[in-house]
Amino acid sequence: MYPARVGEDRVTPGSQTSLREANRARIVNAVQQRGSLTQVELAGVTGLSPATVSNIVNELTGSGVLHTAPTTRSGRRAQQVTLARNLGLVAGLHFGTRSLRVALSDVAHRIVAEQRLPLPPDHRADSGLERGAMLTAEMVASVGATMSEVLAVGVGVPAPVDVRTGQVSTRGLLRGWDGAAVPEILGARLGVPVHVDNDANLGALAEERLGAARGRRNVVYLRASHGVGGGLVLNGELYHGRVGAAGEVGHVTIDDNGTVCRCGNRGCLETFVGAAAILETLRPTHGHLTLRDVITRAEQGDPGCRRVLSDAGRHLGVAAASVCNLIDPEIVVVGGQLAEAGEMLLGSLRATVMERAIPSTSGPVEVVQGALGASAEVRGALVVALDRVSITAGVLAP
Amino acid sequence: MTATEQAGTSAPTPVLSLRGVSRSFGAARALLDIDLDVYAHEVVAVVGDTGAGKSTLVGVLSGAQQPDEGQVLVDGSPVALADPASARSLGIAAVFQDLALCANLDVVENLFLGQEVVRGSLLDEVAMEKQAWNLLGQLAARVPSVRIPVAGLSSAQRRAVAIARSLLGEPRVILLDEPTASLGLTQVAEFLTLVERLRARGHAVLITSHSLSDLQAVADRIVVLRLGRTNGEFRADHVTYEDLLAAVTGVAR
Repeated sequence: MYPARVGEDRVTPGSQTSLREANRARIVNAVQQRGSLTQVELAGVTGLSPATVSNIVNELTGSGVLHTAPTTRSGRRAQQVTLARNLGLVAGLHFGTRSLRVALSDVAHRIVAEQRLPLPPDHRADSGLERGAMLTAEMVASVGATMSEVLAVGVGVPAPVDVRTGQVSTRGLLRGWDGAAVPEILGARLGVPVHVDNDANLGALAEERLGAARGRRNVVYLRASHGVGGGLVLNGELYHGRVGAAGEVGHVTIDDNGTVCRCGNRGCLETFVGAAAILETLRPTHGHLTLRDVITRAEQGDPGCRRVLSDAGRHLGVAAASVCNLIDPEIVVVGGQLAEAGEMLLGSLRATVMERAIPSTSGPVEVVQGALGASAEVRGALVVALDRVSITAGVLAP
Repeated sequence: MTATEQAGTSAPTPVLSLRGVSRSFGAARALLDIDLDVYAHEVVAVVGDTGAGKSTLVGVLSGAQQPDEGQVLVDGSPVALADPASARSLGIAAVFQDLALCANLDVVENLFLGQEVVRGSLLDEVAMEKQAWNLLGQLAARVPSVRIPVAGLSSAQRRAVAIARSLLGEPRVILLDEPTASLGLTQVAEFLTLVERLRARGHAVLITSHSLSDLQAVADRIVVLRLGRTNGEFRADHVTYEDLLAAVTGVAR
């Protein structure tokens, strides 16, 4: 994936030099993916001997690609390896149903700026992208950098995305964004390569690389927020399917005779646990609330709000159990704003999964709250952007 | 009101209401027969073109101007708001476009100007500084230090200081007049997040602006003023941008 730097004179394949070149790329690649690792962990991840890792890390630190800092692991001294900060910045944008989140990070996954802008309901692609570009540019300027230092931009949108074209591939799920050419518009505006994916997919990627599912290879991520989405990591890779609609658990049918969903089907999971459904259920007794209000009130012990959340957990559990029976994941991570309700939602979700998924001799599947919270999707956008940046050992070499 | 609504959480009384309020400046009728309710834990946006009566409305609500006709009600009972001080004592605080901060004073001095905390005969600087950080922290306002002159802050930070100052007496209603005018997008983002915080703290918030999409992002209800009259009231999560625009400009749809 990372082109070994082709020097002035060609490297013969199979030679000592090309092997060393490949090992170097392997180490840079591993550090780039995980953000930071100790040398021992690097040896484990890359399969190289600790001595080779140590040699290459020293060499790359010398040429300004990697940065090492002393740390301790299990009581022993160790060397923490990260990418050097001055290699550049990447930007991540997450267009949610009701907010835009923008983050800037350096190539070592360190967030240098993060900002959230509430958006009106049913926002449009043209004004949304315009504001996203403006906010990104302002934030880049605020950390004392210029757009030329931004290497790539990752974008998440709450609808299935065909990652080959970057276009929203389903009509009606994100009104105002149908067929929007996000990479072209944003790329032209910012002058940087732009990579687009579904937001739940990005959340799954972030939790797998940096969050609650670190080190797991088969992960189901449920994003329960204003809408309901899902992302699948299979064998350590994000799974997109044919046109990016894989993992859309929000549109699993729960009730054949249910209300009509924005996707055109009836009784989808989202018509039971989407924000609109939850808030409408509470409207007669509680009046107008926001999703945040429901969680706050439930925490304060309001029985109606608690009931609605545990019902939502049960409905999510029905869909999650089916997904578990299909792909048998190691872990189910729940993210999105509803996940902030913690055990009030997760308790019934877990119980339903346990009851409905096929029993296993190694016990029920683990169901946990995401570790990255509301930032998961934007962190995933940063990961996607970073993955597409090719950092070669020669970036800063003379 | 239906039985279920009464059975719900204490059928709420609006914290602040206007009933049939009119206000003229000579021959110009700035407000005409306005009815308005503001509830606790709610963000009401008042939108309208220039000259629609937004600032006059905030003036009447904050006690800076007196209505020619009609009533102002606090908790359902009529009151006379003779001046901003009497409004404040009833729990209504306003932040105007010009913010009214002293540029040469630092953040703490601005917050407590005229309401300093004293211990014996001396100012209790430590208590004031603590309370300043506490307030700014609750608003998630990013201010580098509370001991630098306000002149050195960005316009969004200054606005946050002005809002923090309005919170000092724990008001129930906060009126914000044109708060997003002359702000960059980063600052708009910080301001809108701040409004969400105010709502979460249980305050009633009334914002006027002519930027529809900013307001629609945080408001629960949107009231449209046109030429001094109410030209529609909308639920922010259901109304479309086009309907709002039509109401603001007076086009029939």
